[in-house]
Amino acid sequence: MRGIRIVILVAFAALVLSPLTAAAQVPSSPAAKASIEKELSQTPAAPQEVKPETQSAAPAPAVKPAKKVPEKRTETIVPAFSGIKERTAVFVFYVWLWLSIVVLIYFLRLWVKESDRVYHAKYYEPDESPRKANPMPPTLGD
Amino acid sequence: MKIDMKKVGAWFDDRLALTPIFKYMTKKEVPQHEHSIWYYTGSSILLFLAIQIVTGIMLALYYKPTLEGANDSVGRIMTDLPLGWLVRSIHSWSATFMIAFVLTHLLAIWFTKSYRKPREATWMTGMMLLVVSMVFGFTGYLLPWDDLSLSATKVGTNIPNAIPVVGKWVTQFLRGGDDVTGDTLTRFFLFHVCILPLVIFAILAVHILLVQKEGMSVPLEAEVKKKKVPALPFWPNFILREVMIWLVLLGTLLTVALVFAPTLGPSADMMAPAPAGVKPEWYFLFLFQTLKIFPGNMGPVTGEFVAVVLILVAIVAIFFLPFIDTKPEGKKGRIINYLGVLGLIYAIVFSIWSLL
Repeated sequence: MRGIRIVILVAFAALVLSPLTAAAQVPSSPAAKASIEKELSQTPAAPQEVKPETQSAAPAPAVKPAKKVPEKRTETIVPAFSGIKERTAVFVFYVWLWLSIVVLIYFLRLWVKESDRVYHAKYYEPDESPRKANPMPPTLGD
Repeated sequence: MKIDMKKVGAWFDDRLALTPIFKYMTKKEVPQHEHSIWYYTGSSILLFLAIQIVTGIMLALYYKPTLEGANDSVGRIMTDLPLGWLVRSIHSWSATFMIAFVLTHLLAIWFTKSYRKPREATWMTGMMLLVVSMVFGFTGYLLPWDDLSLSATKVGTNIPNAIPVVGKWVTQFLRGGDDVTGDTLTRFFLFHVCILPLVIFAILAVHILLVQKEGMSVPLEAEVKKKKVPALPFWPNFILREVMIWLVLLGTLLTVALVFAPTLGPSADMMAPAPAGVKPEWYFLFLFQTLKIFPGNMGPVTGEFVAVVLILVAIVAIFFLPFIDTKPEGKKGRIINYLGVLGLIYAIVFSIWSLL
């Protein structure tokens, strides 16, 4: 019976958590995708080597490459999993977490019940009742 | 080499005096009655504080408290680091849970009148912890440095300006100048990760010490009628029940953080006008709405000044509540209860109004 209960709990946790994790996997916005594609297409080509016209001409001073100014982000960052692997790992972790919580609470409840029983039975309290004399007379063997 | 664990234990016991603490824990008792459930709110606050410390350290490893780096570093935490967005979400949500539990704890103590003699100092340190928790939230709100956090901080740091004489100085001190700039960000970061943790630990230590010294309060009616309230040992009976509640709260927090992870707006533009619908964190909403309903001028003073003074008077009155409500079992005590209900309704209604 307990085994069936645990199976039902596992199935329930999986059912509850699967839409949650799916909801958390927010795909990156189309605007963000477009900006990445644009950035890739605008990647500067490798600088071409400029050949001097004549050997006698003075060498041109080395042109420093312009300092790349990072573009200011304009989109809102929406939290998302980095991939299916991460999503699955988190999904498995959450199922394990809730399962552990359920199992731990089950055992903790047993422990609490036992602790309460022991306390109410005054198990650890010193016995204060007056000791009676042993009614049995000593035997020859004593 | 075999290590004698008994000797190791004795070595620590000699130096840290652990035996008296363990003896105290086993002898300590917690009253059991119909309001016992409220005892668990205190320890739950400690759980959320611990989670905030752990996640806060993780975030601080990558956060850059500079004008150029703040928003980008939070963006990097959310996109480049594995599950960085989840860590940030847990940090943010645990703050929300913590303040919700601090408020619940405070209301429970208010209505059960647990602040009565000899627990006045416990109440006052608790109030200090509430204020520090809210300042934690306020300073942390600016750190992502997006438009919303900048505007909310501008509004928040402008409030002390309404106080005559010292108001302008307080605002300048909070901002590190006349306006919210990179200096404010550095200052808030310093407060958030260095000064406030020291303050909260100091007050918390005193609060816990006082709770241990005076013990848990029993219901007022039981004290008045001098009835004996049944009790349970703290260890293991009470602590095991606490652990069960912590587990449920931990699971709930992690699930909420996963589903409702906060987003991050673009880096704040200091020259841009405030975006529409600027709102502070939920626990400041009723104060925000209170400031909004007051007219610009009220005779010789500004409406904002009147609102700030009223709020300050209310905070001071709540702080000294144990000295106002000296006879909690009498008529005065009942009036204080009604005032508590009124205050709660006011906070809820004004918060909802602010969101509309």
